[in-house]
Amino acid sequence: MASSMAASRPPLQRRVRALQLATVGVALAVWETAVRAGWIDPLFVPAPSAVGAALGTMGDTALVALGETLSKTAIAYVLSVALGLAAGLVVGSVRLLREVLNPFVMALYSLPKILVLPWIVLLLGYGTAPAIFYGTIHGLFPVTVLVMGAVRDVDRTLVTVARAYGATTWQLYWKVLLPAIVPSVVAGMRLGIVFCLLGVLVVEMFAGVRGMGYVMSSFANGFRAPELFAATALVSAASIAIVLVLDHVNERLSHWRG
Amino acid sequence: MTAPARLIAVESVSKRYVTSSGPVEALHDVSLTVSEGEFCTLIGPSGCGKSTLLGMLGGLVYPESGRILVDARPVTGPDPGRAATVFQDPGLFPWRTVLENVEFGLELAGSAAARRRSIATALLGPLGLKGFAEKYPRELSGGMKQRVAIGRALAIDAKILLMDEPFGALDEQTRVLMGEWLLDIWRRTRKTVIFVTHSLHEALFLSTRIAVMTARPGRIKSVLELPMDYPRSMESPELVALRAKLWGEIREESLRAMQ
Amino acid sequence: MTVLAVRAGLLLVVLGLWETVGRASNPLLAVPPSAVLPALRDLLLLRSYPDLPANVLLTLREIAAAYALAVVAGLACGFALGFHWLIGRAWGPMLAALYAVPAVVWYPSLMLFFGLDAASKIAFGFLLGFFPVTLAVLAGIRQVNPHLVTVARAYGAGSLTVFVRVMVPAMLFTLVGGLRTALALAVVGVIVGEVLGSKRGMGALINHAYGLLRTADYVALVLVTLALVVGSDVVASLVERRARRWNE
Repeated sequence: MASSMAASRPPLQRRVRALQLATVGVALAVWETAVRAGWIDPLFVPAPSAVGAALGTMGDTALVALGETLSKTAIAYVLSVALGLAAGLVVGSVRLLREVLNPFVMALYSLPKILVLPWIVLLLGYGTAPAIFYGTIHGLFPVTVLVMGAVRDVDRTLVTVARAYGATTWQLYWKVLLPAIVPSVVAGMRLGIVFCLLGVLVVEMFAGVRGMGYVMSSFANGFRAPELFAATALVSAASIAIVLVLDHVNERLSHWRG
Repeated sequence: MTAPARLIAVESVSKRYVTSSGPVEALHDVSLTVSEGEFCTLIGPSGCGKSTLLGMLGGLVYPESGRILVDARPVTGPDPGRAATVFQDPGLFPWRTVLENVEFGLELAGSAAARRRSIATALLGPLGLKGFAEKYPRELSGGMKQRVAIGRALAIDAKILLMDEPFGALDEQTRVLMGEWLLDIWRRTRKTVIFVTHSLHEALFLSTRIAVMTARPGRIKSVLELPMDYPRSMESPELVALRAKLWGEIREESLRAMQ
Repeated sequence: MTVLAVRAGLLLVVLGLWETVGRASNPLLAVPPSAVLPALRDLLLLRSYPDLPANVLLTLREIAAAYALAVVAGLACGFALGFHWLIGRAWGPMLAALYAVPAVVWYPSLMLFFGLDAASKIAFGFLLGFFPVTLAVLAGIRQVNPHLVTVARAYGAGSLTVFVRVMVPAMLFTLVGGLRTALALAVVGVIVGEVLGSKRGMGALINHAYGLLRTADYVALVLVTLALVVGSDVVASLVERRARRWNE
């Protein structure tokens, strides 16, 4: 039984991989042909080969801009995870707070935060501060909401057991609630990084003078399609790489789950 | 033989719960004393307040009137030095290994890592969990999980063991085996056990004393003494007669509870 | 009851703080609620921005177009991925990887391709709304109890009957939730697109007021836009509730 499953696995995996590679290959080929044959205007959609070339020529400037964006994102991320975890733990574990604040938190989570962006820029000026601030509030809510829900849903028996064994409040948080919500915290962290990066990019596009968001929107305004596509690919690849790393951490941290 | 010292005294305890459909009286004027080393079982229909009474003994629930004394001191809150509780849901921490779960109470009490590790490791043998020290709860069967929970209670070495239907969620065969195992543990450790159950067999097989509780509001209906030796044969005439008597009392209350 | 009272109290405290801080600070940077109310009145009476209705309508039309496209494409894509196991296995993770990219990276390209007018906003709203629909279909298909399908087949149901009578009702709950999320995200997409660069629509008005430092007008416009957002979600939640009742 087990051996037959193991035997059938490689071909299936290989077929899936093959299809994935074929998809990418065919898409790139069709795209390249379409541009070369003149079906698509290369002014708007450049051929993959042109994008590749642009990636080469952009080189350092793009990496510097990416570095700026990612360092702003990193600061915003640390802030939003720390604040979101603290807020989620406190609000989630105190029933009155939770019931009072839940609708406000959900509203702040789902309403389009871009509406306050002009005001943030007005207050904080053009620079890194509004990007970090806006990135933080973007990342803060998904973390808070997930942690809040996770704390609320912690198995009540575990809390009762801890109380019966004489746990102090500190021990209850540190030894029961915190370990119990680790999977949700990591899920929140995974979601949060994408939100933080999004927030930082939006500010850079809206009122940036540096960073990947600014670079991309100036490429768009300058009709430099190959460079724009190359920059987009670069940011996407960075984002996917970060999320994959977090997924890996997640698997490591929740080995006790079945 | 000298009379064993009185360890637990429940003195006319009452408790009401406020629910959405009005107040419900869970316990009404319950009094009970338990001596050191006894295996005292609380049995009665569903909702008769057995678990509430056990929660009070553990300090997790507060009586509305009356009081509970352990060693002549009133119970005012949970105190693992006094009593260790085992719940129907084993309540194991899924992120802790078997060994770490057994260590939990000692860890909260601040005992040194090496000491608690050696205590927990020594318990694995009697728990029948040798070789499972590094397993996580999800890898264990229901009976094993409950043995870990009992191990966690034994590790803190409190005088009193409070057990709230610990085998209620297990299948019949496992239940019988767990009963035999618990009996062995109890006879070796000489803890004072307060045991809540629905099972006549469990009560008769294990207890030195059985307190039958009435349908809601819970009172003590009668107390049966079981002086027979262990291990007991359920076919012995004494136990057969006791079983009939016990069933008669519980049947009456269960019928009342159903109405 | 107490919860509602505490909530109301909290709102009052926030408003009070806003009023105090707003009065004390530079009127170009912060406006107290008492200054927003007249601005809101002027806005709604079409004194400050006479072309408000046209802009509201444009934004709503963009949202409607983006959402309709997202639903159609999302359903098609979801069912294609869900029913063809090999394609699902291969493309599902690729789609999930795309989901891990902050969507706004696509916006400059969309702007380049579709220009500054409505089309780029519709495209961005579509992009944001498309994913939740697809993912909801996939989750819904996974949720269908295979036993129910077996039972239906045992009673002689064909593929179409199984789909209509078993799959759709079983999935409805999840699907409707996904459709609601998709609407919220399509709304966000259109508004983000408008704020990041447009000549008309609510986002353009907001940028205009902000650019001229007409802060009170800016806040009033934000409130009107929020009303549109909340209104669309209320409609979606009513539809969701109706669908749930039907499902039971």
